[in-house]
This record gives sequence, C-alpha cells and structure tokens, in this order.
Amino acid sequence: MGALAIKNVTKSFGDTHILKGIDIHIEAGEFLILVGPSGCGKSTLMNIIAGLEAPTTGEVHIGERIVNNVAPKDRDIAMVFQSYALYPTMNVRKNIAFGMETRGVPKKEQDEIIARVSKMLQIDHLLDRKPGQLSGGQRQRVAMGRALARDPKLFLFDEPLSNLDAKLRVEMRTEIKQLHHRLKTTIVYVTHDQIEAMTLGDKIAVMKDGIIQQFGSPEEIYERPSNLFVAGFIGSPSMNFVECHLAEQGGEYGVSLQSEGDARFVALPNGARLADRIGQKVILGVRPEQIEVAEEGEPGLACKVHLTEPTGPDTMIFTQVNGKEVVARVHPRAARHPGETMRLKLDMGKVVLFDPQTELRLV
Amino acid sequence: MDNQNKLWRVALYAVLVYAAVYYLLPLYIMATTSVKSMDEIRAGNLIALPMSITFDAWGKAWATACTGVECGGLSRYFWNSVQMVIPAVLISTTLGAINGYVLSKWRFRGSELTFALILFGVFIPFQVVLLPMAQTLGWFGMARSVAGLVFVHVVFGIASTTLFFRNYYVGIPDELIKAARLDGAGFWRIFFKVVLPMSTPIVMVVLIWQFTQIWNDFLFGVVFSSGDSQPITVGLNNLANTSTSVKEYNVDMAAAIIAALPTIIVYVLAGKYFVRGLTAGAVKG
Repeated sequence: MGALAIKNVTKSFGDTHILKGIDIHIEAGEFLILVGPSGCGKSTLMNIIAGLEAPTTGEVHIGERIVNNVAPKDRDIAMVFQSYALYPTMNVRKNIAFGMETRGVPKKEQDEIIARVSKMLQIDHLLDRKPGQLSGGQRQRVAMGRALARDPKLFLFDEPLSNLDAKLRVEMRTEIKQLHHRLKTTIVYVTHDQIEAMTLGDKIAVMKDGIIQQFGSPEEIYERPSNLFVAGFIGSPSMNFVECHLAEQGGEYGVSLQSEGDARFVALPNGARLADRIGQKVILGVRPEQIEVAEEGEPGLACKVHLTEPTGPDTMIFTQVNGKEVVARVHPRAARHPGETMRLKLDMGKVVLFDPQTELRLV
Repeated sequence: MDNQNKLWRVALYAVLVYAAVYYLLPLYIMATTSVKSMDEIRAGNLIALPMSITFDAWGKAWATACTGVECGGLSRYFWNSVQMVIPAVLISTTLGAINGYVLSKWRFRGSELTFALILFGVFIPFQVVLLPMAQTLGWFGMARSVAGLVFVHVVFGIASTTLFFRNYYVGIPDELIKAARLDGAGFWRIFFKVVLPMSTPIVMVVLIWQFTQIWNDFLFGVVFSSGDSQPITVGLNNLANTSTSVKEYNVDMAAAIIAALPTIIVYVLAGKYFVRGLTAGAVKG
C-alpha cells in the first residue's frame, strides 16, 4: 500500500518557482530522505506534505486519501522540527500531552502513552523538567516523543540533527534508524547532510532548484548517479571529475588519461555502446575508493603525490589527472609521501561517464 | 597615573551626585512640604526638614480641599481615574496582544501594510484628533463619561500595545506555531496555551506603559470629561488653580503626590520586568 504519493506538485510565489513538478511515491514502512543544498525546496516540500503550505498545483496523497484540502492536524502525521519547537513554558510531560489533550484523548490513555513513549526514548526521568533545563540531545528525544505519542501514519523529520554536535548527531542518527526498524513507520526526513541521507534512507530524493535530480535507493544513487550534481553531492570526499576524450584503440573503446609524466589508454568495459561518441569530450566520474594502487606487474598510471590526508583507516592521496585534482582513497600502508610517485589504476567497471553539455550520465 | 585616575573618579561621582540631588530635590520638597503645617511653611526654609510632622494636608487634599466650587478633595477624581485606567489598560493590552499575535504569526495578504498603518497611530499628535473624537464620542453617546475616556484611551493605546507585542512575538520561532498546529491546536488555543504563557515580560512592559500613559493623561481628561467623570490629573489641576485666601502649599503638594503615587507603586512592583521585557529579544537566547 502506498503511504505517500506526491503527484506533479509545484509551488510558486509570483515569478519565483520553488518547486517545479515533484513526483514521489513511497510504500508504507519506507524511510524517505529529501536531501539537497539549502534553497533546493526540500523544506517547502516538507511543509506541503505537512499541510503547513499549500501546493500551487499537484496532489498529495497520504495513505489512500488526497490531503490537499485536509488541515495539518487531520492528516495523521507528526513532525519533528530542526529547532525541536518544544513549548518552553510546559514541562516535558505537558509537551508530549499537548496534542493528545487537543484531540481529547482520555487522561488515562494519555498517561499510558506518555509512560510508554518516555520509556522507549529514555526520557522518563525528565518528565517534570522544562525544555530549558534539558540538553540538546534530550530536547531532541522529547521532540521525537511528542511525535511518537501521536502514533501517526507518517513521520516528518525536518533536519532534526543539524543543531546537535558531531558526536551526538551520529548517536541520534543510529537511534532514529533503530527506532524505524522497531516501529516500521513511514518516515520522510529532510536533511542537507549526504551522510545522513545515505545511512538512514531506504529511498533518497536528491533535490536541486526545485527539481528532483534523482530518486532511488542509496546504492543506486551512489553507484549510478543520474547527473553531475548528484554524483558530486553524494559521497565524501566527492567524486572526482576528469575531462577526457573517447577514443578507440586496438578495437577497444576507452579514454586516455594523463598524469604528470605518464599517460595511458584505459579501456571501458561495454565501451562499444559509446561508439557514436568517439572523439567527443566526456567527463569521467570516479570515486576516491575506485582508484586503487596497481600491483607489481599490473598496468598503472604513475602519479605524483601532491598531498596526503590520513584519516585513520584510509589515507587520501591528492594528485593530478588530465590537469584536474584527483583524490584517491588508499590503504595507509600503500600511501607514499608528497613528492613521490605512486602507480594507480581505476576500477573501470565502476566509473561513470557524463555528457559535459547536458551533465547527464552516459554509462 | 593613579592619582589622575582617582581625580577622575571623584569628579565623576561629584557630577553623578549633583545630578541625583538635582532630580530628587523636587520630590524631597514635595514630601517634606506636604507634612508641614502652613505656619511652618510661612515661617521656615523651603528645604528644611519639618519640625513636626502632620498629615492634615493629606487628609484635606484627599477629602475636603476645594476643586472649583466643590470641596470634596481628590478622592472622587482618584476613583474616576481608577475606574478609567483599569478597563482601559486591560482592554488595550488584550487587543494589542491579539493584534501582535496575528501580525507576526498569522500573516495575511496586506498584514505588513496593516501593521504600518497601525504604527502610524503611535505618531499622531493627540491635539489633531480632539475635535473628531469629541464628535465620535457624541455619536456613541459616551461624551463626558468615564466610558468615553476608556474608549479614547483604548483606541489610542492599541497602536503602541500592538507595536510592543508584535515586535516581541516576531522573536518567537514560527516552528512553535507550526508544531502546535500539527498538534491540532487552533488560533485561540495556540494563543492561550503556547504564546501567552511566554509573554510575561512583554505583558508587564505593556501594562506599566499603558498604566502610566493613561493615568498621567491630562489632555483627553480635560477635553472629554466634565463634572463627575474627570480623572485625577484634571482634579489636581482644579485643586491647584482654585484660589482661596491663602495658597495652601502643603495641600497642593500632598495632592500632587497622591496623583503620582499609583504610577510609582506600579513601577516599583513590576519595574524589574520592565527592563527585562524591553531588552528581551534584543539578545537572542
């Protein structure tokens, strides 16, 4: 059963078009991420799903209903806000109970729900405190408790972790994921953090300029980004983009790569599909971990190391290919010092090619 | 260097003490004169402490001093003012809070223009509206009544109370309102349960502000009231201007203090909120 369907939704303020035809469909129990840089329209889309703003055109379905004309409170949704939006004059118990009181839930039932939710989130010892007396992580839990107490069809999370410090953010990320596994709820989660998107999402919608650039599973988006923007936005460090020309050599199709002092032709598997583009410029996209150290006797491109960044498990090697800075993620023991030369090879089965004009993926 | 510093410090304190004395002296003279007898006033020095303290002048100012042809003291005027100031302050504060809530959290097409127009009211000189207001009160059948004065003060107060509340509420995050809407609360429930409990500092500011403005107003009082609806400021004026054989300074002084006392008391009781409320929102936190 479809839990949420957004059909051709647009939003404009006069001549400013915030959303330009959004289509999304997710099933019950799925975790949908809306990710993109600020100003991409993801928060506006969230507000439209919540009913806090109305779409200019298009339909929003929650469950089997069209909810365009349904008030936020009647959409069977709950929302967690970036600023937590806890009522500062009420204690934690009142904060969680407020919505239930408004809906006229009997007092006894309220108490049961508060007890269950606060135990689940480990905030049962904080029930009599005011939000001002809580830490950031505790406020975050209370905000989630308020949403859970509603037991809605759809949870909306609006950048819930961006006000937390780095360590807490990682912890809460894991907790949200566990919560989702346990409760099997449908979640829509807005973030600008691609790591949150990758780790949490069942489905990711990468947005930019009011358009969904790509909608798919994290693997799809990571391995087969549909355009240059998605490829560069998802993944850290970012994908390397190297300009090169498609060529044919000895019956094989491929590209020639040039480092400082070395050059070689590398063949593309299934390169024949690109036969009609021979001689044209393409952009080769290769992720840092798809560049490996060539073994003894293996063909490799000799590259000069400009800089190294050890991260612990891996070391980032900065070098240059076809005049562009390229980052490779290698094992710390394989890394050479700046100024030295390393022989590198690309995992050609995983690289992607983009058209420099349309910026769309070719292979 | 140290000596120079010390010299500066002494000079600074000298100026501050002088300024403090300068401002406090009138109050001191009023207070001491009001408890002196007329004989002592005639004989003695204006600044001297009273030789014997008597509250006769206070009693007379309150109950028997002549204000024109009538000789009932200020008590009648005082109660007129109380009857005027309480509803006027409460109504104008309530309306200001609702206006501010709407103009900051429930914006509509033209709400900014509406706010700009309301703001205009803060800057209108009172004299400009005296005649049209007199006409309006006449049509409403409220001319020369306490109810009429309440009406005038409410209308005039809305501009500044709206400004105060609107600017305070702009600082309340919109996400709170969104959260409450998702919780199912409507316009009034959000106002009473979420917004108003957060408003204590600004409510105090507006209450003090409105109380002081309305209690101290003389112009509207003298123009729009007469006889038994006049407020205390008008009563004080009448008392001081009623010529009898002798000028009773002690009674005048006591009457002036009686007229000023409520605003002083309000400020002393709620003053700490006043400063807090005025600076709230200036610093985020």
